[in-house]
Amino acid sequence: MTIITASDPAHLSHRERSDRVSDPGEGSSSAALPVGNRKTTVGIARSNSRTEPGPVRFVIIVLALTFLTVFVVLPLVVVFAQAFSKGFIAYFAALAEPEAWSAIKLTLLVAAISVGLNLVFGVLAAWAIAKFDFSGKTFLITLIDLPFSVSPVIAGLVFVLLFGAQGYFGPWLQAHNINVLFAVPGIVLVTIFVTFPFVARALIPLMQEQGTQEEEAAISLGASGLQTFFRVTLPNIKWGLLYGVLLCNARAMGEFGAVSVVSGHIRGETNTMPLLVEILYNEYQFVSSFAIASLLAMLALITLVVKTVLERRLDEGQAPSDH
Amino acid sequence: MTIEVKNIVKKFGAFAALDNVDLKVGNGELLALLGPSGSGKTTLLRIIAGLDWPDSGELSFDGEDALGRGASERQVGFVFQHYALFRHMTVFENVAFGLRVQPRGVRKDEATIRARVKELLDLVQLDWLSSRYPSQLSGGQRQRIALARALAIEPRILLLDEPFGALDAKVRKELRQWLRSLHSEISVTTIFVTHDQEEALEVANRVVVMDKGRIEQIGTPGEVYDSPATAFVHGFIGESIVLPVDVRDGAVRLGGSALDIGANGAASGASKLFVRRHDMQIGPPGSGALQGAVRHVRSFGPIQRAEVALSAGEGNTVIEIDAPRDRELRAGEMVGLQPRRYRIFAAQK
Repeated sequence: MTIITASDPAHLSHRERSDRVSDPGEGSSSAALPVGNRKTTVGIARSNSRTEPGPVRFVIIVLALTFLTVFVVLPLVVVFAQAFSKGFIAYFAALAEPEAWSAIKLTLLVAAISVGLNLVFGVLAAWAIAKFDFSGKTFLITLIDLPFSVSPVIAGLVFVLLFGAQGYFGPWLQAHNINVLFAVPGIVLVTIFVTFPFVARALIPLMQEQGTQEEEAAISLGASGLQTFFRVTLPNIKWGLLYGVLLCNARAMGEFGAVSVVSGHIRGETNTMPLLVEILYNEYQFVSSFAIASLLAMLALITLVVKTVLERRLDEGQAPSDH
Repeated sequence: MTIEVKNIVKKFGAFAALDNVDLKVGNGELLALLGPSGSGKTTLLRIIAGLDWPDSGELSFDGEDALGRGASERQVGFVFQHYALFRHMTVFENVAFGLRVQPRGVRKDEATIRARVKELLDLVQLDWLSSRYPSQLSGGQRQRIALARALAIEPRILLLDEPFGALDAKVRKELRQWLRSLHSEISVTTIFVTHDQEEALEVANRVVVMDKGRIEQIGTPGEVYDSPATAFVHGFIGESIVLPVDVRDGAVRLGGSALDIGANGAASGASKLFVRRHDMQIGPPGSGALQGAVRHVRSFGPIQRAEVALSAGEGNTVIEIDAPRDRELRAGEMVGLQPRRYRIFAAQK
């Protein structure tokens, strides 16, 4: 019962649609057209595209709304209704339980580490792919997508095979008294694996479109490599980067399958919020279970709002400075 | 600052972008690299700027090796074809960039930087745009801001890649004159790349004509136009009539019949006769080296452009000639043609 489902990877490249938002540069010829003239052409195009009769439109809209209500709105409402079914006091008491509190802390910790590291890895990978030509580039791009195409449970199992007692590194780790599996490091590792593509995927198309000319200009003006990155590259990708980080964070906090395999479900120690939701639910503690679920649902709603804002920013920031 | 390029070779895979290029640029020159796309001119410019490295060869500024230094240390102002303005910075910050990234010891204080940027924006006559963003500017304005930004670092060399390529014809003409006067004002060694011969001939003091990674000719605009060194230069610069001829023992033959012109020392064999459109003298039928029928006449300004179907050669050879308006030509008329000036180059195999 992963509450925040990761967006479809294809969704990440939505920005590519909105290239050339506005180019006031060479628009002088079209600006010479009388404004009224242009308006009428737009009006005609619109009325032409609306050829369906009224009842058909009505039915389509009602169908879409019903579908959305049943499959999206209703489940969300149920989460909150169940969480508050015994009143506010029971809700906050459920969240104040040490077990719940430890799950929240663990989830925040895991998300902070994995998002932080993926931010660095993602920027590096996107930088390498977008700004340089090297052999094996296509392979690297495919590799970045791998976590999206592998089932999270398999991802978890891979890490069990690597770090488990019977795994490749297991005996060595045991000998040095390092706990990876059934401990925080394991949870962080699988979360990094599962959420790796988000940042890189958000940045690659953006950086490829922007090309290397601004960086070259910066260098020819005497900027060092670091100055070029922080003054030119980073400001140009900041909205895309935030977008990737946001989705990465949502997935990191909501990840269930992979974490479930490596966590060991030790109460108060290795249970993240999604894992705890399941455990409490199985124990018929509906209020507690849905109280935590409601936090994740809220995270999803906030993510959604911020994502919409960021997407608007990205589209605005896309107005190219050349062409 | 003088620039010396020696035996520079640059290959992209099997394709030789630059094939043993030698070039000397004098201090304060305004030089044009002219050639069709793929001739290697932009690659040469990028190598001088330090944005590309040659496979072999030498490059020196004022006699000092430049290849050992990176682009950021060469103090070369580079204006990109699409300007490459920093899209997230205002015009002011764009121009100030080169001053702000200087190492701490050398960097000027804020007031000096502001004064310098103001000065540069005045120079390009765009100080009123300083708080705008690049996306809010027209093409010509972006071009001038890119130039101001490049000049901010007090470059020893100014390089411009197709500086007017992306602009419409009228703006282009204005900017050309403006670049010339700017150059005479600041007199920094300047190289610009163009595929537009008119631009090169009109703006530059010296023109380097390139083709397929090689330099075909270096000379003043007058020299490359009036005495082209190779068939390529003759064909590329100015409008030329090209006729396939055969040179044998000092006689020039077109499609079997001898032409009444000297071979001018051209070697025997398959050759090409180059004549400028306006160097073809029109006379009554029977006069001159070539005979033909006027097929079509268009008149504009001081000239009339006529399509003439030649009688000699393989039937359908049609040439375009420019004639003054003093003698009106009519379609269907028979004329005799005599090349006033012409060149014969061996045909390339």
